[in-house]
Amino acid sequence: MAIVTDSEVVQQIRLPERNRKTERQITERKRIDMPIEARLRGRITGGFIVAVLLTIFIGFLSWRNARLAADDADWVIHTYAVMDTLELTSKQLIEVETSARTFGLTGQDALRAHYETAKVAVMQHEETLRHLTADNPNQQLRLDMLEPQIRTALEFAESIVAKRLRLQASPDSSDILETERMMNAVRATGQEIKDEEMRLLSQRTQNTSARRRLTSLIIVAGIFVGAGLLALARLAVNREIAVSTQGRDQLKALNAELEQRVEQRTAALQSEITERQQAKQELAIQAEELSHSRQALETQTLMLQSVLDSMAEGLVAADEQGKFLIWNRAAERIVGHGPADLPPQEWSAHYGNYLSDGVTLLPTEQLPLVRAIRGEVSTTEIFLRNPKVTEGTWIEASGSPLKDKNGVVRGGVVAFRDITRSRADEREIRKLNDELEQRVVERTAQLETANKELEAFSYSVSHDLRAPLRHIGGFSKMLVEEFGSSLDPNARHYVERIQAGTQKMGLLVDELLNLARVGRHALSLRPTGLNSIVAEVIAILQPDSEGRQVEWLVGDLPAVDCDPVLVKQVFQNLLANALKFTRPRVGADKSARARTSAMRSLIEISHQEQDGQPVFMVRDNGVGFNMKYVDKLFGVFQRLHSTEEFEGTGIGLVTVQRIVHKHGGRVWAEGEPDKGAAFYFTLGTGNPVELKSTGATAGDQS
Amino acid sequence: MNSENLDILLVEDNKDDMDLTLHALKREKLANHIFVARDGEEALDFLFCRGAFAQRSFEHPPKLVLLDLKLPKVDGMEVLKQVKSDPRTKNIPIVIMTSSKEERDLVSGYKLGANSYIQKPVDFDQFRETVKSIGLYWLVINQPAPAGSVTKAAGQAS
Repeated sequence: MAIVTDSEVVQQIRLPERNRKTERQITERKRIDMPIEARLRGRITGGFIVAVLLTIFIGFLSWRNARLAADDADWVIHTYAVMDTLELTSKQLIEVETSARTFGLTGQDALRAHYETAKVAVMQHEETLRHLTADNPNQQLRLDMLEPQIRTALEFAESIVAKRLRLQASPDSSDILETERMMNAVRATGQEIKDEEMRLLSQRTQNTSARRRLTSLIIVAGIFVGAGLLALARLAVNREIAVSTQGRDQLKALNAELEQRVEQRTAALQSEITERQQAKQELAIQAEELSHSRQALETQTLMLQSVLDSMAEGLVAADEQGKFLIWNRAAERIVGHGPADLPPQEWSAHYGNYLSDGVTLLPTEQLPLVRAIRGEVSTTEIFLRNPKVTEGTWIEASGSPLKDKNGVVRGGVVAFRDITRSRADEREIRKLNDELEQRVVERTAQLETANKELEAFSYSVSHDLRAPLRHIGGFSKMLVEEFGSSLDPNARHYVERIQAGTQKMGLLVDELLNLARVGRHALSLRPTGLNSIVAEVIAILQPDSEGRQVEWLVGDLPAVDCDPVLVKQVFQNLLANALKFTRPRVGADKSARARTSAMRSLIEISHQEQDGQPVFMVRDNGVGFNMKYVDKLFGVFQRLHSTEEFEGTGIGLVTVQRIVHKHGGRVWAEGEPDKGAAFYFTLGTGNPVELKSTGATAGDQS
Repeated sequence: MNSENLDILLVEDNKDDMDLTLHALKREKLANHIFVARDGEEALDFLFCRGAFAQRSFEHPPKLVLLDLKLPKVDGMEVLKQVKSDPRTKNIPIVIMTSSKEERDLVSGYKLGANSYIQKPVDFDQFRETVKSIGLYWLVINQPAPAGSVTKAAGQAS
């Protein structure tokens, strides 16, 4: 255990930074040390106690044996006393017998006195004997046997004495024999007592010697045990001293460490104190700053209050419990109340918040502020009416939650404004809108009807007007053919005029129908290669350019999303125009005719990118036009040239414009008299596209 | 009129148009076997061999019907529809000749089975040219369905 703790101590020294662990180990160490000292003390005390007890025991044993030995010696003396007394009794009895017998024989008084003295001595000795053997019941029994024998002998001696005195007679031989027998009996009993005493003596002597040997043995053994114990105690003490010395060293090391740690702690505390002081100073600075900030905050709060109060919108805010934090002046003005310390359930009734029907109180869960506190963003229209706002006010309230920096909802804020007037305006606008819409619907219906009528008209124009025209043309032709020879030249001329008129009217009707059809035509967009369309149109126009020098300059045109049928119409009209107006003029003066006829027709079809959109151009070197008439170009039946000069209906460009507009594009023209004209157009929907197959163009299909 | 060898049934209500058409056909010597119906009903009676034409036989249909659309009683589209939906008459070539070039008429005409659709040109020369082309094509160039095939088809269908 000590070794373990040693290594721990070493560890502690090696790793002083592990302070907490070290502390714990020291505590453990203390806990282990305490019983060692106690045990040492206990062991030493125990050793001493054992040694003392042993000594006392040996002393006691020696004392007891000495006592017993003394007792034994007393008993030996006693035995001898008994035997002496017995001897004396026996001797005196013999004296009594002898003196009695002698007196009997001689009658001498001296002998009688002697007899009497011996008799008393016998009785005295007998008494002493009884006294001496009082402790031994066996001897008492034997005494009980001896005493009557002695008494018999004494009485017989008395009888002998009495016989001398009274009869003057001498004892005879029988008396002597009797005496001898009596004396033998006494002697035998006395011998028994003596033997017993001798046996007791020998036994006591034996006991005494045995006890003496035991005592010696005990004393010797005690001395050895005591010496051994002392030696053991000495060893134990030595060992404990060694251990405690080691412990003391450890303790010393621990103490040193503790001291070191105390120093460290002291240093730490010192630095802590310094830090505290610094912190205190900082706190003081902070407190000062805080007071500055508080002032700033107060200023800001005041500013905020002013800002809030200057707002036209009402603004109220509440914490998550529904306690009002902000209630600006506008809010008070609009609501007619200030903030009331009421639970949200009573707000609607207190402030008079109603649903849009104006009579149902707004349910608590729909209140913008309640929703805002719930974390919702909302905009609600509320009708507000209470005793302070008797007329009632419509407000629009926008609520949103107030969140702390962690995004936790801490309350809600609601801004609201009086929308009574704007609501009225809105209602008015809505009403106007409705009326307008109604009018649009009506007008649309009217227009649709008109459109249908127009369509029907177109149809009937197509069918009904063309038929009589055909008839006029047909029959006048037949007239000329069948009766031409019989008609005079004037009549023939008139018939020709009729036919020309018919033709022109037919053209007009056809173009008007075409225009109407363009208007009704549903736009069907598809990627279309414009070069093929242009080529097709040029082919169609080929008959018109026969016998003329016409040069078509066709650029590399893109493919665009467009209605191929309509776009073909555009190119057809524009190219036909270009071809027409580069033709030598019929009615012009000779010089102009010479000039124009000498001139080749140059018709250029190209495009260029403008704002990412292709702008198409058809330019000619024909008669051109004066730019001041440019507005008239695209008007129905508007013509810049006489029919004598250039035939035409004045519908072609209108059709072009209509188609371009249908595509969301625009068309415009530039021109100069006798120099030429250029027509530009875009197709709003017609962004350039990639053609999947060059063969599949709309132009091919039409 | 020998209806057995009829070449053309002209359905035309307008007298002027009729005259012009006949004139054009005559000029091309195509008007020898021609019958003119003046309204849709008459045209249907003629084609379905009923009423005044009950003596006619489906065995001898006209080689060509020139049909105007705007007709009294039964209009041209209805005539076309009935002729083309009946197995006995559906093989008869019908060319619509009308003043209208309305797209919807074009579409429905072809949908109902018209064999051709011609807009009468206003110009008389062009008109004559057109009539000539049609006559030549359908009466001379085109091979009509064999005479028996019509009734055979009818028998199969009924």
